[in-house]
Amino acid sequence: MLAHTSAFWVPKRGSSLQEYEDAFWIGPNGDAEGEIRQSSLTVAVADGASESLLAGRWARRLVALIGTAKGATHTKRGFAAAYREAASGWDEEVAKYTAAREARDAPIQWYEEPGLARGAHATILAVEFSDARQDRSPMWKAVGVGDSCLFQIRDESLYASFPMTDASAFSYQPPLLASRGADDNVLRRHIGLATNDWERGDGFYLATDALSAWFLRTIEAEGRPWEPLRDLDTMDAKSDFAGWVDEQRDLGEMHDDDTTLVRIDMC
Amino acid sequence: MYSAEISRANPTIFMFLLDQSASMQDQIGSGEGQRKCDVVADALNRLLSELTIKCAKEEGVRDYFHVSVIGYGGSNVGPALGGSLAGTDLVPLSAVASSPARLVERTKKVPDGAGGLVDQEVKFPVWVDPVASGGTPMTKALSRAQSVVSGWLNEHPACFPPVVLNLTDGEANDGDPTIPAEGLRQLASADGPVLVFNLHVSSDSSSPISFPDNDAALPNQYAQTLFSMSSTLPDHMRTYAQQQGIKVSDGTRGFVFNADITSIVQFLDIGTRASDLR
Repeated sequence: MLAHTSAFWVPKRGSSLQEYEDAFWIGPNGDAEGEIRQSSLTVAVADGASESLLAGRWARRLVALIGTAKGATHTKRGFAAAYREAASGWDEEVAKYTAAREARDAPIQWYEEPGLARGAHATILAVEFSDARQDRSPMWKAVGVGDSCLFQIRDESLYASFPMTDASAFSYQPPLLASRGADDNVLRRHIGLATNDWERGDGFYLATDALSAWFLRTIEAEGRPWEPLRDLDTMDAKSDFAGWVDEQRDLGEMHDDDTTLVRIDMC
Repeated sequence: MYSAEISRANPTIFMFLLDQSASMQDQIGSGEGQRKCDVVADALNRLLSELTIKCAKEEGVRDYFHVSVIGYGGSNVGPALGGSLAGTDLVPLSAVASSPARLVERTKKVPDGAGGLVDQEVKFPVWVDPVASGGTPMTKALSRAQSVVSGWLNEHPACFPPVVLNLTDGEANDGDPTIPAEGLRQLASADGPVLVFNLHVSSDSSSPISFPDNDAALPNQYAQTLFSMSSTLPDHMRTYAQQQGIKVSDGTRGFVFNADITSIVQFLDIGTRASDLR
């Protein structure tokens, strides 16, 4: 396949770049922005929950493990195995963080201990694109927990939307993946899977919740949300991503939250 | 209304008015010999601790909230936080986090991973100590609240409306408290009027009347006065109260009469529920 990928991100207002707690991964090494020629491509976005500690680290860990685990986007079992691997290394990650804090003479405080014990939480969406094989069209397979979304645009209309399809369904309490592990039954109930074909000319938009909700609301109002997103980083762009998001926040069209977009144009 | 995002750039206030009159020494109706002042101070310390933990991030505690604790008892109406915060009307949450009067070790039951419970030592911060002396100058306390909140609103006109929680066991004996309470509820940010909630802690063991939507079942004029001083719960708190098993309607007010230990904790939990921390 030949694809062109671009990533855009901006923290919520008043937060520094270091406080951004979303994460994204564009395979095979996480940083494949630009023109890509390969037989398969995995892309993931995750949204670390604001109310947990080390949420950004957990989101980055999730996209890296889900983005590279074979079969994680194919079945619930494959996804659960990759998730378990991410969770099993969490204690070590926390120990490193704690040691680093000790080393700079800023030990963990009483109000951080419960949060570290409770662990971090995040939503995730991952999609794997693969080339055509024999009599089969090129396909994508996606997996998601929570309200980070994938939108597929074909011939100037929405062709697929996953896992959310209704703007009113966004809430402040989406299902989340916990760094301290989850009961198998609960996990299986919240994992969503989807698959569909793709063809040259299709555009894919992977986004965390604030942008995803805006995207669906715009479609529900008969708008074409992909147009300003498609123009980003082109000569047609009226502003950069941060400026555009700021404008939507000012208009009350988009929640003030860490906001991430990965755009994949199939060429 | 009541939909403003709460952020470090746009923080709000939680203000606690704490009855420290002599009758707070009496035993709480439901509680195995515990004094009302001990139970209320403990619940408030626990709430401040939970609020701090909720707002803790890697780089420190985020100042989504500023906290005020005003005690009233005898001739004293004034700030009631202890330690290095003593004498301060309004404190950012990060300062609350860094300056408890002391940390005490407590034992907590936690799951042992095999279906049982084990004891775990945890650090419990204390900011407010129990005090019980003199009469009940609630009217002065509400006036003081009005002045602090009014100053805040001048500087934060778009904030989520400040929430004032009055914790008391007795009738005001310094005039009519409904006047400053009404004055408080008339203060507003662009997002709505200030919220005033009242909790009555009881010495008798009658069942609590929690979050009523009318005063028909209230036993006396004193209870009806506190009901009339209390704001209607905004949507997100009403929804949360419902999730806690409380029967609610559009008219449900932030008021508990004859509170026992459980309903004190529940009142603080519901009254400080924030929907949209950013």
